[in-house]
Amino acid sequence: MHAIVKASGLAKQYGHLLAVNRVDLEVFEGEIFGLLGPNGAGKTTMIRMLTGQTKPSSGTALIADHDIVHEPIKAKERVGVVPEVSNVYDEMSAWDNLIFAAELYCVPRSEREGKAAELLNLFGLYDRRGDKVSNFSKGMKRRLTIAAALVHKPRIVFLDEPTTGLDVQSLRMIRNLLKELNETGVTIFLTTHYIEEADQLCQRIAIINQGKIVALDSPEKLKAKAEEQHAVEVSFSASKDLEGRLKNLKHVSGVLRVGDKFRLYVEDPSEAVPMLIDFCRKNDLKIVSINTIKPSLEDAFVKITGLSPEIMAIEKERVKRGESLG
Amino acid sequence: MARRWIQGLSRAFCIAKKDAKVYYFKAPNFTYGLLMPVSLFIAFSISGQINPSLIVSGLTSLVILFGTTSIEAVAVVLEKQTGTFERLLAAPVSFFTILLGKALAGLFFGLILAAVVLAPLSAISQVAVMNPLLVFIAIAFSSLTFSALGVLISAYAKWVPDAQMFSNLLRFPMVFLSGTFTPLELLPPQIEIVARFMPLTYSVEALRTSLGGSANTGTYLLDILVLGLFSIILLVLAARVLQRRLD
Repeated sequence: MHAIVKASGLAKQYGHLLAVNRVDLEVFEGEIFGLLGPNGAGKTTMIRMLTGQTKPSSGTALIADHDIVHEPIKAKERVGVVPEVSNVYDEMSAWDNLIFAAELYCVPRSEREGKAAELLNLFGLYDRRGDKVSNFSKGMKRRLTIAAALVHKPRIVFLDEPTTGLDVQSLRMIRNLLKELNETGVTIFLTTHYIEEADQLCQRIAIINQGKIVALDSPEKLKAKAEEQHAVEVSFSASKDLEGRLKNLKHVSGVLRVGDKFRLYVEDPSEAVPMLIDFCRKNDLKIVSINTIKPSLEDAFVKITGLSPEIMAIEKERVKRGESLG
Repeated sequence: MARRWIQGLSRAFCIAKKDAKVYYFKAPNFTYGLLMPVSLFIAFSISGQINPSLIVSGLTSLVILFGTTSIEAVAVVLEKQTGTFERLLAAPVSFFTILLGKALAGLFFGLILAAVVLAPLSAISQVAVMNPLLVFIAIAFSSLTFSALGVLISAYAKWVPDAQMFSNLLRFPMVFLSGTFTPLELLPPQIEIVARFMPLTYSVEALRTSLGGSANTGTYLLDILVLGLFSIILLVLAARVLQRRLD
């Protein structure tokens, strides 16, 4: 398989901070590749280096066989970039934004208008093509930013947190469009905080932590790596102030609140059940439901990055609120 | 190679067109570009401290200086703040092309502002435009140089107030030391040496010469050459500063 992205020893140093630490990475043509990592792990810096927006401190990166440092123009011509924050021009109309992007990438004059119309239709924005982008919702701006990244028919599209903070309709539309785009042969490289999104979309996932790739595999193989960690999901007749008490239980290594349920990370689920029955008796509670959970990609992520379930829950809350994450 | 150059220039024009749409052609920009220099000139004219023959060249140069630098100095800063600069960085263009595009937008704006001032002013002051082509070239080179100065300020500044402060720190000494209000030959020799490091000096001189005041082809050509050199040096410097800032 041909590697459309080939990074060797890629590193980025900001003063004393080593944001990316000698990363070796290959992304194959035609795949959807996900880069997962906690806040500040180096995901955005990786994308910025691979797309020529910042120079690596050391190492090399070939994008479609062109060195991003020594042949930046040739490499960038083959790449579409969707940054974390939508970066279309508010003062211009949706149509003018796409025409500007087409001109910037030297799309032939005869094709520009046709391509802009096709993309605006595809992203459900054609009827609003003449409106200034400042009047658009966050989801509409996001869709337009993605459309602008596709106007020159790139071979690979880098998307940094493409669905963070979006409404459900925009989120579904973008996920479906990414799948459809990939089916036409375009390689997708995305970072995301939505682990389930990576699980559903990506053929391979790299987990980055503190600037280093700590795991790289298919979602199913990553899940298999977390299988020695089991979880029990339990719902009680009352759930107030239970988290702290559950954390103190013997054999429980972590507790994650999932809606009205608690996910308890344990070594042996068979020991957890009698322990929970005892816990209910002492606290005058009833068990509403109880399930043993097969390790999810999130469990694998937690295990590999060493993040505590509590920190993970905080991160998920921040993502839900659409806060900017590094 | 030639194809790459043509593509680079075409992309610079595309950025210039976008900047003109987004930043330049708005009523407040026209009024600010005209207001400050005209006010200064009225103040000096009333007090009788100004040579009437300097009005046309001096005021035109000042209008170009204020008009282009005011917007240019914040154009990159604003794009960095809104995140749109990332769009340009991710596009297949070099730093120099991005900044050239920005300076070209300033050049077009400078040409329009100069036309707005020059036409009525030459009629009122009865200063005939002897050679329109030479005047046009002088205005174009002045506009490009002052835009490039604005681009350098914008590349260095982190925030809009920084950019405005740096602009004024550079503009006001130039206004008073570049022969705008008083002919250079009447200034003390030390001041003249300082003035020779200021692009406004060459802009005023080239305009005055081309407007038919004291026709001196040698001086005019030298002025245009120096303005061209200023433009290149300022743009190259801006590209380096910006690269360092972003890394």
